[in-house]
Amino acid sequence: MITSLIYLKPRDWGVRLGRWLASWWGMLHLGAIALVMAMSPSTWHRANRLATSNYIYASTWAVLPWFTLLTALVSLVIIRIVLVTAQSYGLSGFALEMMVRVLVLELLPLSAALFAALRASMAFDAGAMGLAARGVEPGDAQEATLRRVRRDLVPQVIANAFSVLSLAMVSSVIVLVLAYLNVYGLSPWGLSDYTRTVGRVFDPTVTLGFIFKTVLFGLAVAVIPSAAILDMLRHRRRHRSNVQPGALRLLFVLLLIEASSLAVKYI
Amino acid sequence: MADTVPDNLPNEPKHVEAKAVILLIVIGALIVAFFLYVMYARGVFEKTQQLVLVTDNSEGVIPGMDMSFAGFPIGRVRQVDLGQDGKVNILVDIPKKDAKWLRTTSVFTLESSVVGQTRLRAYSGILTDPPLPDKAQRPVLRGDAAAEIPRLLSTARTLLENLQNMTQEGSAIANTLDNVQTFSGRLTGKYGVLGTALGGDEEAQKLLQTLQRVDAILAKTDQRVFGKNGVMDDTQAAVRQLNGVLTDARQTLQKVDAVLVEAQAVGANAKVATQDLGRLRGEVDASLRKVNRLVDEINRKWPFKRDEEIKLP
Repeated sequence: MITSLIYLKPRDWGVRLGRWLASWWGMLHLGAIALVMAMSPSTWHRANRLATSNYIYASTWAVLPWFTLLTALVSLVIIRIVLVTAQSYGLSGFALEMMVRVLVLELLPLSAALFAALRASMAFDAGAMGLAARGVEPGDAQEATLRRVRRDLVPQVIANAFSVLSLAMVSSVIVLVLAYLNVYGLSPWGLSDYTRTVGRVFDPTVTLGFIFKTVLFGLAVAVIPSAAILDMLRHRRRHRSNVQPGALRLLFVLLLIEASSLAVKYI
Repeated sequence: MADTVPDNLPNEPKHVEAKAVILLIVIGALIVAFFLYVMYARGVFEKTQQLVLVTDNSEGVIPGMDMSFAGFPIGRVRQVDLGQDGKVNILVDIPKKDAKWLRTTSVFTLESSVVGQTRLRAYSGILTDPPLPDKAQRPVLRGDAAAEIPRLLSTARTLLENLQNMTQEGSAIANTLDNVQTFSGRLTGKYGVLGTALGGDEEAQKLLQTLQRVDAILAKTDQRVFGKNGVMDDTQAAVRQLNGVLTDARQTLQKVDAVLVEAQAVGANAKVATQDLGRLRGEVDASLRKVNRLVDEINRKWPFKRDEEIKLP
């Protein structure tokens, strides 16, 4: 946005700024509409349920095993590194707490959100993209696409939000189990100590922050790309870049949520 | 991204709705189980009793930290607040099953180490004492290693400065050592300790001359006192004479003693005579009263008795 202003004449700055603000507002509006529609029972007719099931299947069922396996492997490496380093410094008492804080609270929700966003971008609708790439071409095809986007908006938003939430939760639970096994082995006698450490980390503020952050990640991944495409179609603008519309904004929002969460927790 | 579901899906997976429902249920159950586990881990389902620890500084104490007994966590800090009296009140939740380790005589400490977190510990010396009641209020003893460091450094600096002052040129210790050196030099001199004690060889020489004179005087005195016709001989003669005088005096006193015995006998006789005189007097009094009565009787019976009638004019 800032860099694009440099290449514009100063008199066009106001127009570009207004459009930029309008697109942000459109995104928030779309998110609100999606939430309201998701809450209203009239939305959940047979076709919508089927569409939502399809999206959930595609965004969660199909990727959950692979994502869980991948995060388990990466987490195992990180857990070993943290544990060995902590033991060499004689700080093994802090290792478990650090693993839970770093992996479960911070890295896994962010990874789940990025993974869901990446998967969503791969399933990027070629039809809509092609239409947008052709630019201003009013006609039945474009109208149909716009209608379809609107129709599938709520199922898609719900499916993507659910995807982020479930990926984060499942991988978190797996990592909690892995952390226990690495620290205490297969012995059950460390369970009370471990439970106490987990209880100390997950105080009410942190737990609510964790859930809130994960839900926000899900909403961001679900809403921002859809809003960007809708915005593009509505204003009949040409998509000049090769990246998915809204990708940069999504990345920015994800980082903003993560940074805010860290700031609230630790500052 | 926007649309992956065409109007008619040719390759729609089988039982997609059922799979979605299963996934929803499983993930929902997972979230609920996770919440329940976290609540259990935070002791929400445990029956607890409260303990209020009072201290003057809450540095390092955070809600959620453990209180340990013999290395085992038995309580958790729930709240830290500042009381009306400016003291810090640390509210600790203790599960009922672990409360048996705390007794009325238990001692609580708050230890801050240089590295690592602050630790809250409980010590129960006598486990047969009465158990700690609910909402008991106890003082907590602070042990702060980090707070000791500045004081230690300050003390060490003062100590080093003192050491430097003591060892530098012209200091009291250096002068003392010089004096010791002079002293030891004098000790090895002609007059040795005497010269050292008196402050010089001349004084030592004078003292020795004085001692020699005293020795000569003592020899003369011996001759005059204990020699032939000396003071002691005269004294012995005088003592003998005194002994004879004393013997005479003793004999004289024995005579005086016999005189006194006789005087005592005289006194006793006089006492007896005095008692006889008393009885004689009694008898004389009785004879006189009889004579008197006799005279009165004769006067009554005799014709020359007086007319005792009283005549009125």
